[in-house]
Amino acid sequence: MDVVTSQTIGVEVNGTTYEREVEARRLLIHLLRDDLDLTGSHIGCDTGNCGACSVILDRTLVKSCMVLAIQADGASIETVEGLAGEEQLTPLQQAFSDHHALQCGYCTPGMLMSATALLRENPKPSDEEIAKAIQGNICRCTGYWNIFEAIKAASE
Amino acid sequence: MQLLRPESVEAAAAALGNGSVALAGGTDLVPMLRDRLVSAETLVELKEVVPRGVEGTRIGAGTTLAELEVDPEIPAALREACALAASPQLRSMGTIGGNLLQATRCWYWRLDFPCFLHGGSRCHAREGAHREHAIFGNERCASAHPSDPAAALLALGARVRTSRRELGLEELYRLPTEDDRNVTALEPGELILELDVPRPEASVYLKAMDRARWAFPLVGVAAARFADGVRLALAGVAPIPWRLDSETDLDRATPLPGTAYKVELARPLIRRALHSVT
Amino acid sequence: MARLIRTEKEVEGRYTEQWVVVEEDAAIDQWPAGPRETVGRPVPRVDGYERARGQALFTADVALPGMLHAAVLRSPYARARVRRLDLSRAREADWVLGAIGPDDCDALTLEPGFHGEPVAAVAVDSPGRAREALELIDVDWEELEPLLDPEEAVRRNELHEEPRRYERGDADAAFADADVVVEAEYRTQTVLHNPLETHQSVCRWEGDTLEVYISTQFIWGVRDDIAESLDLPPDRIRVICNFMGGGFGAKNGAHAQTFIAIALASQTGRPVRCALSRREENLATGNRNSTIQRLRAGARSDGTLVALEGEFVNAVGWKGWSGPTYGPMEMLYACENVRTLTYGAKLNLPPNAAFRAPGFVEGTFGLECLLDELAGRLELDPLELRARNHADRDLADDRPYSSKNLLECYRRAEPHWARRDAVRARSEGPWRRGVGLASQIWYGGGGPPSYAWVRIGSDGRATVITAMQDIGTGTRTAMAQIAAEELGLPLDRVRVSLGDSSRGPYASISAGSSTTPSMGPAVRAAAADAARQVIEIAAQRYHLEERLLTMQGGKVVSSDGGSWPLEEVTGLLEDAQILGKGARGPNPTGMRVLTFGIQVADVAVDVETGEVRVERIAAIHDVGRVINPLGAQSQVEGGIIQGVGHTLSEERLVDPASGIVLTQSLDAYKLPTIADVPEIVVELLDIPDEHLTNLGSKGLGEPPIVPTAAAIVNAIRDATGADVRSLPVSRDEMLRALREARERERAAAPA
Repeated sequence: MDVVTSQTIGVEVNGTTYEREVEARRLLIHLLRDDLDLTGSHIGCDTGNCGACSVILDRTLVKSCMVLAIQADGASIETVEGLAGEEQLTPLQQAFSDHHALQCGYCTPGMLMSATALLRENPKPSDEEIAKAIQGNICRCTGYWNIFEAIKAASE
Repeated sequence: MQLLRPESVEAAAAALGNGSVALAGGTDLVPMLRDRLVSAETLVELKEVVPRGVEGTRIGAGTTLAELEVDPEIPAALREACALAASPQLRSMGTIGGNLLQATRCWYWRLDFPCFLHGGSRCHAREGAHREHAIFGNERCASAHPSDPAAALLALGARVRTSRRELGLEELYRLPTEDDRNVTALEPGELILELDVPRPEASVYLKAMDRARWAFPLVGVAAARFADGVRLALAGVAPIPWRLDSETDLDRATPLPGTAYKVELARPLIRRALHSVT
Repeated sequence: MARLIRTEKEVEGRYTEQWVVVEEDAAIDQWPAGPRETVGRPVPRVDGYERARGQALFTADVALPGMLHAAVLRSPYARARVRRLDLSRAREADWVLGAIGPDDCDALTLEPGFHGEPVAAVAVDSPGRAREALELIDVDWEELEPLLDPEEAVRRNELHEEPRRYERGDADAAFADADVVVEAEYRTQTVLHNPLETHQSVCRWEGDTLEVYISTQFIWGVRDDIAESLDLPPDRIRVICNFMGGGFGAKNGAHAQTFIAIALASQTGRPVRCALSRREENLATGNRNSTIQRLRAGARSDGTLVALEGEFVNAVGWKGWSGPTYGPMEMLYACENVRTLTYGAKLNLPPNAAFRAPGFVEGTFGLECLLDELAGRLELDPLELRARNHADRDLADDRPYSSKNLLECYRRAEPHWARRDAVRARSEGPWRRGVGLASQIWYGGGGPPSYAWVRIGSDGRATVITAMQDIGTGTRTAMAQIAAEELGLPLDRVRVSLGDSSRGPYASISAGSSTTPSMGPAVRAAAADAARQVIEIAAQRYHLEERLLTMQGGKVVSSDGGSWPLEEVTGLLEDAQILGKGARGPNPTGMRVLTFGIQVADVAVDVETGEVRVERIAAIHDVGRVINPLGAQSQVEGGIIQGVGHTLSEERLVDPASGIVLTQSLDAYKLPTIADVPEIVVELLDIPDEHLTNLGSKGLGEPPIVPTAAAIVNAIRDATGADVRSLPVSRDEMLRALREARERERAAAPA
């Protein structure tokens, strides 16, 4: 049986492998933001309510403020920074930009990850499926319609 | 704090107790650790030891809510309760076993008031702000049980297999008493491994909440019809999931001034649930 | 030559006199109404790329070398006295690098007046351990009895200011003469801003200059707050806010977290971040305070309003200000006899802060619901009642409006309103459907001072430089559009540099719907100044008359046929650049600059369970010229969904005995999700205000939230006959109102 207080973990984030020594109580979102300097994923509530920290962990959409970093040992993680290549935006990111699917943009990385997870599973979602996919992501600025429209546009 | 990753149920059970805490999906536990509502020397990760998946009428306790909500083999009441619970991310993280054991959302308890449930002498909600609170079993503690799936499983007459025994879901829950403030009957080191969910002829889960989605139930009503009759169970109305025999049982509710509306709200939901399964 | 003038400035209904410098050159004529090359056309955000890639750096993302992390010890009591504060254990611990109390920082106190008020703070170098360090602070608390009931505060005269009294005409006489009088008491709840980025600041000393990275709506206000509090020369303070995660009125100043970070940075010699958790955010950074409104309206049988009276109690909290809850009653209708009395109760509750049309959201709910109750009594069409009492001139200030197209808004509302028979007819089973409407009045004219520069380089590209902030509304894009329009440049050749008080001239606060109307004219003036210089240079180089030259399509174009790419003209200067300067001119003197509108809501109510679904909202607003219809539509939708949250699900609750805030996290405090969003139809009149600046644009941030609650609640009455008088329309309030309506119906029914 492994006993872990602070351990060196290995995670693959956006295709790059990192090894970091982390305390057992450290949250995945803090590993990403503070240790790996991937600040695209945001902390909006740190109680699992807002979805701004959503990332894809081993192909599952999760809120990274509810995962201990050590739980992610050996996992493959995707964050907003990994969506596009060097320059271009993915069609989804481009649609967010084109449709004004963001105002302050603080929730956007989480929204993009939720929408990405949806479109991978279901490239042609219905309106209801789009709305359902981002039910766990709070946006306080836009009123959601443009986000919906952007995801719809990217799915077509 | 340390994390253990046992490879067998026996090892996990042995590791639990003495201030160690089981970690499954983490959606309830991780925030409580952060808020220090739970302090643990040791976390015991259950991912590798608790069964996951559906086989016939049996559901592994490690199955996620997201897996259950889309599984056509699952009775409608449980599927709907899972689909109406939490948010997509949490449903893909949270396990059904963990969901049954989640702590109340009572704000006094969550803010660590020295309330009855935390071992104190009185329930702060009874005298205080309690619009989300209980209408049954609320004499000592007015907290409301937040689990939608628990009400569904209770209506479905689910049985629970733990690392030590098999029991009806009803026996899993207990109202907190002067001597024991727990709301479950699990013993230290006892793990929920599997649920056995009888197939009803029809079942449904209806939920009233403060916004259209992503809120805990004000009142949730599950109904399941079996050959010998309909079973009803409610979420959000008592410190534990609550069985009712019929709508008229609502007359025995003991609402607080701020929860009287829940009685009024439960009536049409019960009627609709019954109508839907019969 | 610069010209110094004294002019009136308004922010959210509060007027001050202000000196401003304007350029002497002749006023620039407004563009004709309607879409131009770039202005008035839907344009994607110029910063969409960074934001969609997660590359936009918010204050939350700022990490400076050697940065420490602060944690704040907050009062666990609504009212307390600290008998003893001992920081010695914290100061002795080698892993705690800074520890401060009220002696070190004015934002800390030994006599907290609300749950969450800051008392002490520490700094450590690991973000995970900052809260742990708070356990090393020893405090002896003396808990004191809090005052929590606003009516009791009024009785005890615990007020923030003298009661405000207003009267025009003779309300008593008019009520006595009225054919119909209705009265009702309305209550609104406390709601929390909840921008997704919490309040946070990172402060560092660079020599004798203080650098402040802050999530703010007003970088100059932060600079002034700090300069004044710490007695520092303002130019030694550099305030930076490049990307900002929302504010909604709560981030207009420096706030406690900045002063805490500065004090800890001074003590430790290291950069310090002070970032609030969501729970701290929902304790201590402000709120829309709750109100009690006792209202009365008198009318003649033809619907003419003859008298309005309101007594308003604003439950302000421990600090803050008593907002204009009375505003709509005094300003919205042509009623000669109006009397209001407003109290700002001082309570042991967290301070309020401006929140998207403060006072008017609350006051409009009361007034516009009362108007519908009046329409019911008069058996008059609610839209007709409003049109009949339209004010052609501002009666509160006795001034003409700079522009007002509210009647046109009403006209455009007619098709939405006319749907109500069809909507009602879709009622089925327990679901009753109905339609309601409410009018909107609010400020939004902006004002001086605001300044901008436009720089054109040899590459023929322009940069708008101004030390404003984009709080998420799309200001960068709108300013780029205005400059591009004036310079005849494609939008992709205009950049906007903002967010740094040391890199650009003074710019307006982003509050009070004032960013576009304050900044836009300055940007246009700066662009016009730069264009003038380009033309002067081209005229000399190519031996042409200036009056024949214009800038179009990235070229200098002569009306007699020739054209020269802009980069060819500016290229003459090699690395040197052209710099145009612009200032926001004064608002029209003697006129009232306001925004207007109406919203029409369709709702469905399950009369058995009290569930309310808002199915559709049509929003018609008159905010002058619209710069970017795409951004404007998004703003309207965002305002409406905040209004839906305010109406249906959001409520800050406190423990009635202790005053402790119970709804701190976002599971307890329920913001709307996408599942709560109705269909939204946005219609902006897009009629420039001919008297207002070189643009004719007013602000749009706040108007859309103003009428939403009243429109929804009026639709609920239309659907069910139930009078909701209290927000939010939770299940308990809806079931209560339905029960009351049934009882009323039963009592009225013949035996």
